[in-house]
Amino acid sequence: MKNDKAAKIIEKAVKKGRKALSEYESKQLLAAYGIPITKEILLKDKDGLARATERIGFPLVMKGCSADIAHKTEKGLIHVDIRTVTEARKAFREIMAGMEGFEGGVLVQEMVKGRRELVMGLTRDPQFGPCVMFGLGGIFTEILRDVSFRRAPLEAYDAREMMKEIKGHKILEAVRGMEAADEKRLTEMLISIGRIGLENPDVMEIDLNPVILSGAKPVVVDALVVLK
Amino acid sequence: MPAGKKQSRPAGSSQFPDADFERIFHPESIAILGVSSDENAVGFGTGMLRVLKEMGFEGRIYPVNPRGGSVFGQKIYTRVEDIPEKVDFAVIAVAAKLVPQALEDCLKIGVAGAEILSSGFSELGTKEGLELENEICEIASRGIRVVGPNCFGIYCPRSGLTMLPGPDLTRQSGSVAFVAQSGGMAIDFAHAGEWRGIRFSKMVSLGNGADLREAELLNYLAGDRETEVISMYIEGIKDGDVFFRELKAAAAHKPVIIFKGGLSKAGARSVASHTASMGGSGVIWSSILKQTGAVQVFDSQELMQASAAFSLLPKRSFRNISVIGGGGAIGVAACDIAERYGIEIPPLASDIRERIEAILPRPGSSALNPVDVANPLVAPSILKEVLMQAAQDEHIELQIIVSLLFHYNPYALMMGVPISEIVPYKELVEAVDDVINKTGKPVVAVLPNARRGPQNMDITELIALTRREYVRRGIPVFDELHEAIRAIAHMNTYYGRRENEKR
Repeated sequence: MKNDKAAKIIEKAVKKGRKALSEYESKQLLAAYGIPITKEILLKDKDGLARATERIGFPLVMKGCSADIAHKTEKGLIHVDIRTVTEARKAFREIMAGMEGFEGGVLVQEMVKGRRELVMGLTRDPQFGPCVMFGLGGIFTEILRDVSFRRAPLEAYDAREMMKEIKGHKILEAVRGMEAADEKRLTEMLISIGRIGLENPDVMEIDLNPVILSGAKPVVVDALVVLK
Repeated sequence: MPAGKKQSRPAGSSQFPDADFERIFHPESIAILGVSSDENAVGFGTGMLRVLKEMGFEGRIYPVNPRGGSVFGQKIYTRVEDIPEKVDFAVIAVAAKLVPQALEDCLKIGVAGAEILSSGFSELGTKEGLELENEICEIASRGIRVVGPNCFGIYCPRSGLTMLPGPDLTRQSGSVAFVAQSGGMAIDFAHAGEWRGIRFSKMVSLGNGADLREAELLNYLAGDRETEVISMYIEGIKDGDVFFRELKAAAAHKPVIIFKGGLSKAGARSVASHTASMGGSGVIWSSILKQTGAVQVFDSQELMQASAAFSLLPKRSFRNISVIGGGGAIGVAACDIAERYGIEIPPLASDIRERIEAILPRPGSSALNPVDVANPLVAPSILKEVLMQAAQDEHIELQIIVSLLFHYNPYALMMGVPISEIVPYKELVEAVDDVINKTGKPVVAVLPNARRGPQNMDITELIALTRREYVRRGIPVFDELHEAIRAIAHMNTYYGRRENEKR
């Protein structure tokens, strides 16, 4: 049961000798596996900008998008909370200037609102192969290492257990006026990430960071797929 | 369950080569290759012959050496082909470069399995060592199963097979199977099992694991009727996929307790994503063990303690317990430890509390739970009554009795006798045993010893004697309360998951 759309995205990048997929490609790959991603349009030039902003709707986010640039924030390639076409044009010019020398474009993306950030991912263990990660976003992952892993393929039980296993799991419940997270959707996402690893040997690592809970619904806001 | 019956293998796993484990663990006849005619020789072959005789091995033993002669009044055969009957199992203890031929000879006469005690193979990391081990693998693939090389071999109390340093291992068979890459770890476990009350169905030291390895043994032991608990010490595995599948299948049948050695951070590996940097081998191993339903422990003591609990206590979880003791800061400490391991020490029902208060010395006692009996010198008859009463509380599923027996020391000094002469330890153990039988609720004993110095050897002896009385009756004993509670928590993890899945 190979996923043709996903395979094509990967094959194209591998042929070019690339070590990673761009954010846009990464998300197309995720979408091919039914993982919910931000609504977004990739622009190569400014001609389509007005139409893109209209389709995504304000406020929106614009990002430099290239497989060669890992740290977008540090290079000033992310502009958030853009509310007018004028702002969008300005952001477009600045991002293109900042991307000088890199192949890529500008990603016009819906701005997902939510106070809870999660991370998901995939790593390949030398002994056990593809393993799926789940954790809370931001400092919880990087400083506290509050994450859990399960080997692919995951059963629904495994996915639920790995969510329960993190210390901050209560954040997924209905707390401080926020809805309980859509556990079924999260479970499906974790299972799908495992499938991506099992079905695509060229995919070495995946980072979905952050996955924002928009109300109860998880949405992948940024993604990185590392290739062999 | 008597030995010698066909064992059933769990479904879904038959990609392993044929193995007649019955002939390997319960051989009727064995050949030892590499026995010297000099009875005082220090070689492994002669040593193994001696210890097998001392163990009272049930079958016939045939020493082999091309030079012939005799040893311990027994003929030494010059060739395995000359042995006058079918040989089930072989012990190979010849120099490394002679091992392939010895194994080939055994294969030729239809030996089912061989343990190769010799070293000088892949563990050296030399080209020659690797080549010799590859030869062993190749011969094994043609129909003889190999344990080792570079191992201590198999210990099976029922048949009397034993490991080289183990002429004094017990012949009492039990329910725990132990598999370790390290021979030293295996023999230590066997010796510690003796006084901890752990009895073994079979024990295998895998050494280099050229042929038989942990995954296949998991597969076998999962279906082995002699084995109810599988304990393992693992350093490395060969195939993560096969191991995962067999571990998951085995843990679905019976508890599998694993101590994985050599866990370290992923530091050395270069990774590009955050996800990969979070997944060092330690983290992944813990995840794998959780996912398969195995129980992870972090040192050999914890492994033994968990093995004792799993093999001696009823097969279930224990969420609510009572703790009975006195003469230490038992109350607060017990509650703190229990909370850390997710176990409740609930207050006893008020009528039960009143009845316990009526029999306890005052002041200083508390019948709340933990029950503080005020001082460590309370008579076994009273402790028995307290345990009987506490067991009446419907919430209590298991009881722990903590006895600070070393506090009898001043009285022993006063009377000028060894402490074991004044401590009623036999009565204590009988009382506890009686409570278990009458209430049907298990009791676990904790015997701390704050006085382990050389001037207090009589206390060390007392503790050992008390422990022996307990384990003779199948009652698990721990040195410290936190060890007892941690072992019970491991059972809760294992059985809790199964009870959850049933719901």
